[in-house]
Amino acid sequence: MTDPKPARTDADLGRTLADFSVASEPGNERLAMETVAEAVRVLDVSGENLERLKTAVAEATMNAMEHGNHYRAELPVEVQVLVIGRDLAVRITDQGSGPPPKEDGDAPDLAAKLEGMQTPRGWGLFLIKSMVDEMNITGDEGHHTVELVVHLEPEGGK
Amino acid sequence: MAVRHLNVEVRREDGIAVLDLEGEINGFAEEALSAAYAEAEKQDPKTILLNFEGVDYINSTGIALIVGLLARARASHRSLLACNLSEHYVEIFNITRLSDFMNVFPDEESALSGEV
Repeated sequence: MTDPKPARTDADLGRTLADFSVASEPGNERLAMETVAEAVRVLDVSGENLERLKTAVAEATMNAMEHGNHYRAELPVEVQVLVIGRDLAVRITDQGSGPPPKEDGDAPDLAAKLEGMQTPRGWGLFLIKSMVDEMNITGDEGHHTVELVVHLEPEGGK
Repeated sequence: MAVRHLNVEVRREDGIAVLDLEGEINGFAEEALSAAYAEAEKQDPKTILLNFEGVDYINSTGIALIVGLLARARASHRSLLACNLSEHYVEIFNITRLSDFMNVFPDEESALSGEV
């Protein structure tokens, strides 16, 4: 993993809390997850909200390593943690080509999976969408980016 | 970051096969989980309890492995139960609807008493 760069302020993007990459190797999604959790300690994200964010980051990183970078270790997954206005945004970028994954696929059908009519897998995007306030997917010829957005409580809020 | 591979111990309590899970339930866990489940099935129990007390991470691949165990249990007319999930993973069992197909108990004692 590259070292997290020092936090900086950018008038256009807001505040960058972390900017790092991990190699596309199985298990590195936990490294990304824990690094993001450490980066957001300065914010009021804790308890179950933090656990949800960690799961979303881990799943998005795993998707990026598997589907975007095909677990080629030399291809990094880049992670940016930003505060934009009252939102926390985590952007996870792979080196994949082709169309980005669809955001609005059907929810997995557990009954069908139990009957053997669907593969037991296919929970990743569903979990991500369930764990954060927004999930946005963009892509160009050489990258896919999944943006996870969490609306932060106003200061002095609940 | 080192992966905590899954270790599984199988024991029997009041006619229920208990799988004590320790480590991470991810893609690396498939072999250990499947082998432990097969060992538990040898006792031909009516009920198999997955004890998640030692588990601190379950990813979507791990969810798929649990779905696979649940399918195996249903095919052989066994009940599959879960206990000692953290609050976060109880939520994930709820949103994936796993908890619609397997009873989730807060601890082993309530799981055993709920089924005996």
